[in-house]
Formats: sequence, structure tokens, C-alpha cells
Amino acid sequence: MNKNWRWLPAGIVPVVIVTAAVSGSAVAEAQPQLPAKTAQELLEFVATSAEDAYSGTVEQSSDLGLPDISMATPPGGTSSSDPTSTALELLTADHTAQVYVDGPDRARVQVLDQLAQRDVVVNQDDVWFYDSSANEAMHAVLPDRESAKAELEAKLQEKAAEYPELQDVPRTPAELAEVFLATIDPSTEVTVDGTRRVAGRSAYELRLTPEDATTLIGSIAVSVDSETGVPLSVTVQAKGQEDAAFQAGFSAVDFSTPDAGIFEFTPPADATVTEAPTVDDARARMEAKDEPIATDEPVVIGEGWSTIVELPAGTAAKLGVAPGSGEAAGMGDIMDIKPGMDPEEVAGAQAMLDQALTEVDGGSALQTSLVSVLVTDDGRILAGAVGVDQLVAAAQR
Amino acid sequence: MSADGFAIETRGLTKEFGRQKAVNSVDLAVPRGTVFGFLGPNGSGKTTTIRVLLGLAAASSGEIRLLDGDMPKDARAVLPRVGALVEGPAIYPFLSGRANLQRFDAADRHTSPATRNRRVDAALERVGLSHAANKRAHAYSLGMKQRLGIANALLAPRDLLILDEPTNGLDPQGTREVRSLIRSLSEDGTTIFVSSHLLAEVEQMCTMIAVMSAGRLVAQGSLDELRDGGTVRVRVTTPDVSDARRVLTGLGLRPEPHGRDDVVAAELAVPGLLPEAVNAALVHADVRVRGFEASGASLEDRFVALTGEGFDVAG
Amino acid sequence: MPAERSLGLSLVLSEITVLFRRLRTWAMIGALALIPILIAVVVRVSSDGSASGRGPAFLDSITQNGLFVSLTALTVAIPLFLPLTIGVVAGDTIAGEANLGTLRYLLVAPAGRIRLLLVKYTGAALFCLVATLTVVVTGAIIGALLFPVGPVTLLSGDTVGIVGYFGRLLLLALYVTVSLMGLSAIGLFISTLTTIPVGAMAATAALAAVAQILGALPQLEWLHPWLFTNYWLGFADFLRQPLVWNSFLDNALLQFGYIAVFGSLAYGRFSTKDILS
Repeated sequence: MNKNWRWLPAGIVPVVIVTAAVSGSAVAEAQPQLPAKTAQELLEFVATSAEDAYSGTVEQSSDLGLPDISMATPPGGTSSSDPTSTALELLTADHTAQVYVDGPDRARVQVLDQLAQRDVVVNQDDVWFYDSSANEAMHAVLPDRESAKAELEAKLQEKAAEYPELQDVPRTPAELAEVFLATIDPSTEVTVDGTRRVAGRSAYELRLTPEDATTLIGSIAVSVDSETGVPLSVTVQAKGQEDAAFQAGFSAVDFSTPDAGIFEFTPPADATVTEAPTVDDARARMEAKDEPIATDEPVVIGEGWSTIVELPAGTAAKLGVAPGSGEAAGMGDIMDIKPGMDPEEVAGAQAMLDQALTEVDGGSALQTSLVSVLVTDDGRILAGAVGVDQLVAAAQR
Repeated sequence: MSADGFAIETRGLTKEFGRQKAVNSVDLAVPRGTVFGFLGPNGSGKTTTIRVLLGLAAASSGEIRLLDGDMPKDARAVLPRVGALVEGPAIYPFLSGRANLQRFDAADRHTSPATRNRRVDAALERVGLSHAANKRAHAYSLGMKQRLGIANALLAPRDLLILDEPTNGLDPQGTREVRSLIRSLSEDGTTIFVSSHLLAEVEQMCTMIAVMSAGRLVAQGSLDELRDGGTVRVRVTTPDVSDARRVLTGLGLRPEPHGRDDVVAAELAVPGLLPEAVNAALVHADVRVRGFEASGASLEDRFVALTGEGFDVAG
Repeated sequence: MPAERSLGLSLVLSEITVLFRRLRTWAMIGALALIPILIAVVVRVSSDGSASGRGPAFLDSITQNGLFVSLTALTVAIPLFLPLTIGVVAGDTIAGEANLGTLRYLLVAPAGRIRLLLVKYTGAALFCLVATLTVVVTGAIIGALLFPVGPVTLLSGDTVGIVGYFGRLLLLALYVTVSLMGLSAIGLFISTLTTIPVGAMAATAALAAVAQILGALPQLEWLHPWLFTNYWLGFADFLRQPLVWNSFLDNALLQFGYIAVFGSLAYGRFSTKDILS
């Protein structure tokens, strides 16, 4: 008797699952039918969608052609005490975040790490940053918005009296879009590149394509929700790389007003709380100091997409990058090397950095698929969204 | 199939393991109400046949009818009416004897949980294990485990019992108890299919037997039929050897040379010819018969002839 | 004559009874209970009040709030100890019965092969829940005994009361149980392949290790969402405010996929298998 049919479910079930997975993503990728919009109309649409209340899950991933930095850092991310490494980690590693927004005054972003979480809570004038793995909270008070706005307006009026051409400052979204397009036009092609589905919603795809041959950036695409005008995702494409170099977007979004309680934050009783200096404090402190913080202004070379920023000599030394050696001992800052860390971990991070750095004419360079950084032998740092050869050329100018 | 048909019937039952045929086109027919002996040396395919009968293993080809259903198609309807002991008992060593039986009883969704404890106790009582019911089964002797295995087959009223080597590991007293148990069950109308490699056991318990050898069914029928199937030999002791040979040849027999020069022997291969007629013919021909012996084949001889192996008569 | 068929819950009950009457089961539960106890005692004895930021998650929080012992213990138990015990139970399901020879008597009873598979899986799933709860409850008790107990700080920095925290702990135990269901299904399938339970147990536990190793390799990122271990540590979603259900739903879907695939494989194998033991 043939009983082989009993194996049938074992054959069918995986096929069903794969089919469901594939067709599910096919549905997700199907292009929704939407009324056509020009780039100008789409920009206006974005600009008008000011009052937003929504919540959702944001997924971020990047492929910069770098060794995975997250491997060198302990799980749960880095400590908030080191803003450089936190920023780098946030940008380069993959993340999932819960985002809650209720108008311009209330927002909460929760970066969901494994068994840990980092929160940024904005509630009116209060800003909280909380890192669960270190149990540290930072509090900042925003300057009074209304007064700041009034001050800005007054200044504008004042300036406008001085310079009549400033009367043309765009005020309506339409004007804003027009000015934006006019400014950006020579260097960039702005198109509406069809429609797509993001987080189960239909969206327009706005694409910015640099017409500059030297930049590493292939294009930037912004998906705009067709109903609300809220940007749902950003994708940065690097030249010569098939996978997106950087991608951040909603995987789920809900356009209902989040519960008000979400924006209320009281730091846990046992957390270390630091008070960030207010803007006025910071200004006062800067003025009180004898020597100005930045003596040498960064030099900007070129314009548009291939702009190169040059930090003057001494910056590298200040950061601890040993000039000329090709070794970047002080990059430990970036790699989150702290006293008390496992020496092996430090060595591993160092090795990874050495691997990433390449020896070039007149210095050593870090090349990612989007950005290049050159540390010259004389201690200058040049960076830009261009190839290393461009930086070398700029350095030797 | 009517109620007075067969409890077990197979046609062309074959079970192959790779290229080896463990069971080779077996046509079993076990009439209802009988105590049926399934005889064969170890490794002759008895246990494999039983596994296939019970749906534990799938037949490579052939048909099986068990009670009123086709196996394995109607297993769910048929098996609750069948009690079985297959290739020795199997127990959960960490459970008591009683808990073991409760577990097996729970596996059958036709049994009533309400009567479970009563039925388990009755089965234990029947095989004489009541005193050890709460003992962990890993402490049981081989014989006690065997009794527990039989008790498992008796948890519910059964129409058919398939017992594979039921007296294995039992002492003579236990063997006698099992024999009388089988007899009493049979009197209740249960068909009992007992496999064994012991001829004596089968001879004492069974009214019908089937003989397996090397995967084949070589004989099947009542004990008497099988005995009759054997031929009788005559042995004549006489000083007139050549005359005796002539007479025997004249009767259509083929006298064989014998070790002694005053003995003539022959197989009684002519249908209807009885030993007494042979003797009469010899006397009639003035052969001086000093000794005449007609020996029917013993069952043992019969099985040696059928299976080519000796049986372990002593057990 | 066969009586009318009952629902057959007797066998499920019997399975549970047999599972929890085994010394081995209690030895494993005891070993799991030892994890939070060890953690709590070691932290209590060596506590110098300074948070080092190293070691398993939540370890530093224990001295302030004993209720965190459960979480630390779960974090430690999930990668190794829980899969190991699940491997033993799931790998033993069919192979163990085959090894004892009791499988043939269950089938002749007749238990029915599909029903037996379902019953065995139910038993394994229940063990997943008991094992997880053992870690969580023991952790809460020993934590409460050795350390101060109070409102609990969640990952998001919000604070919940003890009752709310226990609600979340229960959800969390449920999450971990669901996480282990896929592995149980794999173990059930492997168990139908052999009559040697130790082999099935080792293979199941080894697969859990392999999946976690693959999950740690960034080169195999495309594979990660398909690994049954992918969401194992995602239980932290129940420690966020507001509650995030994404991991739970993704995890449930993934585990269900594994149950479907390996369940049907186990069915294919077991329903066509010759029981020769």
C-alpha cells in the first residue's frame, strides 16, 4: 500500500509558507495607483502637512561597506556618555525604533536595542534622554519657543528693512517648494519616481539625483504618504552599490494621536540624572572662557554634492589621531574604547579600524560607500561625499 | 465477513526489509473461537507477521483482515477489540505496574475512564500481580513483567488476543497459569492467536496451528490434520528378508535397505494401505514375522521435516 | 464492542502525569530553578554596590530591586539551559517510547499515530511553559528574599508597580514559551527519526546552538529572520512602555511556521514509519 501521500503536507507546507512570504512582499511592493503629482506639487504637499500626530515603528539599516562596528561594541549599544560613538553606532548599525509624535511639541523616540532601550522624549520645553543599559538620564530645557520665534521674526523684519530683497522670503508652502527647487535645480534632478507601498500605505516617491559626477551619492529617495504628506522613508543609494547605503523608514505607522501619557517622563529613582546646560548657559560659558573654542573655522571646498569640508591642522592631533603613522590610536573615541574595557576588545576594535583605513598619498583614508575621510600626514582632516582621490586632490591644492 | 468466519485472514502477506523477505506471501486463516498456535523457530517471521497484523509495520503487499475490518485501514475500529502482547512486554520502569496499565488504557479512547481503575485491578488480579501493583515496574522480575504484559492485553473485553510467546520467562507454575488463563478466555469465546517456538506448549494449548519457516507459511490446519499429513513407516524383523522384500514390493512399497540383515523397512506411501494389511500379506506369504512395527510420524518429526530445524522441545 | 469514542483527553492527562512523574523532569526543573538562585546568591554575597555595566542584562539592577533576578536568569537561561531541557523533553517524545518499547503498546491500544504526535507535542509545550515559569517564579521569590523589592523601572525609563510588573512577567513567560515551541516541533520531528532518545535530544539541543551561531554571523543577515532563535531575546519588548507587540507577533508567526513545517514532517515520518522496536 502506498502511504507516500502522508508526506504530502510536509511538501506542501513549506511551499505555502514561501509563497505567502513572497506574495506578501509582492503585495507590499506593488505600486499603488495614485493621481500623478509633479515634484513641485509633492513638495508643497509635504510642506502643508504640518500638524501631525502619529506613531509607528521605524526600521533603519545601512550598508556603508564598513566592517560591522556593532561587533566591536558590547551588546546593547554604547554608553550615552560618549556622544561620538553613540552617534556613529546609531548611524551605522541596524536599528528598530518606536516613534510617537503629537504635533511639533511632543515626540518620543525609542531605539529598541536587544534587552535595552534608549529614549528621547520631547514634551513641550522638556527634553529627556534615557539610556536603560547605563540607567542614565539627561534632562534639557528647550528655550521658550514662542519668544524665540518672536525674536526671529523681529530680526527678520529688521533685516528686511535693511535688505529689501529679503521681502521675497518664501512664506507659503508653494513658495517654499518653488524656492527649494530653484536653488537645488542646477546640481540635482528632482523627480517624482512613481509610487510605492511603505508600511502598508501608498506613498509617492520623491527622488533627488545629483548631477555631479564626482559625488558618491547615487540618489536620495523620500517616500511621502499620499494621504498625510508625512515622509515615511528615506533611502540613500550609493554609486556602484546595489543595496541601499542607508535606509530608514516606517515598517508600521498609525495616524492616530498617541496617548498623552507616552510623552510624560519621570526618570527612575535610581537613575543617574544629569542636567544639560541651557542654551543661555552654554552661551554664557563660552563667552566667559578666555580662548574661543574654535579658532580655525573649517574650510569648505567646492559646492553642491561634492562639497568637501576641511578641518584645519591640529584637529587630528586633538582627536588623538597620530598623523603620518597611518595608525589611529585615538580613534578609540569613536570605537568606544574606555578604561577598564577588555584589552582583547580594544585590540579587536583597533584591528578592525586598521582594516578599514587605507594608506593613501599624503595620509590615510577611510572610504565608505557614501562618505570618505582623509587624515593627512600634517594632521588635517578632510571629509566629503566624494571618492578618496578627490579628497587627496583637495588636500594637495 | 460473518461472525463465524475468520478472526485473522491474510492473503499473500509479504513484508520486505530491503531485498530480504521477512514474511513471504503468507495466507493465514484463523477461525473464530479457536486457540491457534503460530509455530516456528526464532527468526522465522512470526513476530514480523504479528507486527504487520496489528498495523505497527506496513505490509509490502498482500491483504489483511482482522475481525471485521481491513488492516491497517480500519485499525481504529478493530484494534480496540484486540489485545496484544508483541515481542515481550514493555514497561515504563519509573511507573508502578498499575500506573503502567492505566497509561496504556488511557491510550485507547474507546475505554471509559470511569471504569479504568476497576478494569486495571481486574486485569492485575487475573494475572496474579495484585500484590505488586504499586511496586515500581523496574523492580519486577522477568516473569512479573511478562504477566504485566498479558494483563495489558486483558484490560478490556477482547474478541481477539494476539499473544507473542506468552510464557517466555515464566516458571513452570506461571506457564501452567497462563495455559489455564488462555483456556478460560477461550471458553468465553475469545479467539486466541499464540505464537511460540515451543512445540510442546502449542500442542498442549492449541486446537489449530500454522507453521512458519524462513518467512513462509509451510503448514496450517488442526493438530490431527497435521499428524495425518505425515507418513507411517513399517519395520519388519524377519529371517526371510528377501521374501519380505518381495511381498512389500508386490504391495507397491519400496523397501529400503536397513543396517541389520534381518530387518526390512518401508514407508507406507500407498494411499489406503494400512499397516495391518501389510502384516496380513506378509503372514499370508509365509514370511516368518518376528517383529512388526508401524510408527506414525511424531509432530516433532513432522516439524523437523517442514522447517528443517529441530525444536527446542524442552523449552 | 468498542464503546463510543471519548475526546481522548485521558491520554493528554496520562502524558502529563508520566512526564512529571519522571525524576529526570524534576532534575531539569531543579537545575533551571538553580539559575536564578545562583545569580541572586552570588550577587548578594559579592555585592559592593557598584554597577560595572558588564555581565548579563539587568544584573546591575538586582541589588536595587530583587524582582530583576527573574529577568537576569531568563537572559542567562534562554540561549543554553532552556533549549537544552526542551531538547531533552522534545527529543524524548517518540524516540523515548520507541526505546522502551512502549510505543508499540500505545499504538496497538490504539492511540492513533496523529493523536499520539499531538499529545506528545502538547506535553512538550507544557514543559516549555513550566520550565520558563520555573525560572521566572524562582527568580521573583529568591529576589524578594535577598533584595529590596519595589516598583520596577522599565527599559523605557518608566516605572510600573509590582502588580503591573507581574502582569508583564507573565506575558514575558508566555513569550519565551512561544519562542521555544518551534524548537519543540523540531525535536518532535527528530524524535520520530530514531529509536535512540539520547541522539534525538543531542541533535535538538545542537540545532538550537547552531541556529544561534548562525544568528550571530552578520554575513548571514538574509537568513536571520528565518531562524527560530531570531526573536528569542525579544522578550524585552514587554519591558517597554508602551508595550510593543511587534516581536511577539513576528515571533508567534515564525514559531507557527516552524510548527507547521516540522509538524507536517513529523506526521509524514511517523505515520509511515514501521514500528520495529
